[in-house]
Amino acid sequence: MAFRNTTRAWGSLSKAFHWLIVLLIINQWWIAERAEDLKGLAKLQALAWHKSFGMTILILAVLRLAWRLMNPTPDLTAETKPWERTLAKISHVLLYVLIFAMPLTGWMMSSAKNFPVSWFKLFQFPDLVAPSEQTFRLMQDAHHLLFSGLVCVALLHVAGALKHHFIDRNDVLKRMLPFGGVK
Amino acid sequence: MTNHRVLLGATLALFAAACHASKDAPTAAAAKPATASAPASAPAPAPAPAPAPAKDTPTTPAATTPPHYTQAATNSSLEFTFEQAGAASTGTFRKFSTVLVYDEKNLAASSLKVRVEIASVDTKDQERDDLLKGSDLFDAAKYPTATFTATSLTKRADGGIEAVGKLTIRDVTHDMRLPFTLKPTAAGFLLSGKSAFKRLDYGVGQGEWKATDSVGDEVKISYTASLVGSRT
Repeated sequence: MAFRNTTRAWGSLSKAFHWLIVLLIINQWWIAERAEDLKGLAKLQALAWHKSFGMTILILAVLRLAWRLMNPTPDLTAETKPWERTLAKISHVLLYVLIFAMPLTGWMMSSAKNFPVSWFKLFQFPDLVAPSEQTFRLMQDAHHLLFSGLVCVALLHVAGALKHHFIDRNDVLKRMLPFGGVK
Repeated sequence: MTNHRVLLGATLALFAAACHASKDAPTAAAAKPATASAPASAPAPAPAPAPAPAKDTPTTPAATTPPHYTQAATNSSLEFTFEQAGAASTGTFRKFSTVLVYDEKNLAASSLKVRVEIASVDTKDQERDDLLKGSDLFDAAKYPTATFTATSLTKRADGGIEAVGKLTIRDVTHDMRLPFTLKPTAAGFLLSGKSAFKRLDYGVGQGEWKATDSVGDEVKISYTASLVGSRT
């Protein structure tokens, strides 16, 4: 498997970015769900992990976007209909926007609550906004709303991939699988 | 007749007294200016020291009791920084008071007292403030104030001043050094100092909060007090 993308196949680095971010997002959801029922020190620790992983997603998003711009993007198959291409394009753009917007709103939530963000206790990110209960609530609502949006777009993305595989019977899904895909 | 004699006698006596007084008067008048002008006759030192000691009379005893400075209503802050989940987090105490007794030439007789109202803790998050005031941390209901008392001050090698005093939190007292600087202002001084202490030494952290992996033991303090007083 090549490191870089070609017009037909995703390279290993693009695949790594894709699946690593998928796993981290699922992990983020799981930690956030669990943290809601926690109190005191346990909650503080759970949210510290959530923030560290969230900032990891943001860093990966930056690298992933840069890598995408430096590489060719594999084409969809010739049979793909224009509306499918448009829908795929919109959902991909939205997914990119969301992997930036989710960590950024979370980061602003932390700043607004005066709980600065540390990355696995290795270094501290600067605060993005001044402490404010109002800003916190606004960012919290945005963070939750964006997550709902992410779930919807991700489901559409999965549905599209499954359609390619089971209905269109092309290799669009297979070529993004970690160890499979086209040559 | 007897009355007239008495009157005459009295009048004569008055005259005599008057004459005697008028004879003494110039002497007294001459003597007084003489004592006053004795230093005044020495031209240079006379005008200055004469009124100065008169005005400074109250400060002469103040050499033994240095002047007091108290905290002004504004421009003072007491900030603390602690590590929380790997990130330096800050908070302040909004209510605290300072009394500085300060004589530059007599630091041993100078002193610093700071009194902090625990319930005024402000970390910009109500939930955390409530937790800090709770029994596991400061226990504000039981221990409403924290104090720092230094009964003498010392000069530091770097030219600053240091208060070696007692910090009391939750009724636990330990020594703490507070190096600080004093900047003269129109009304007194601006005191700025920094120090640090370990929260667990004072029991700020009971139960699960005794752990230091998520909330660090060391707490840094940055203290500024705008002081007003009778600086001369």
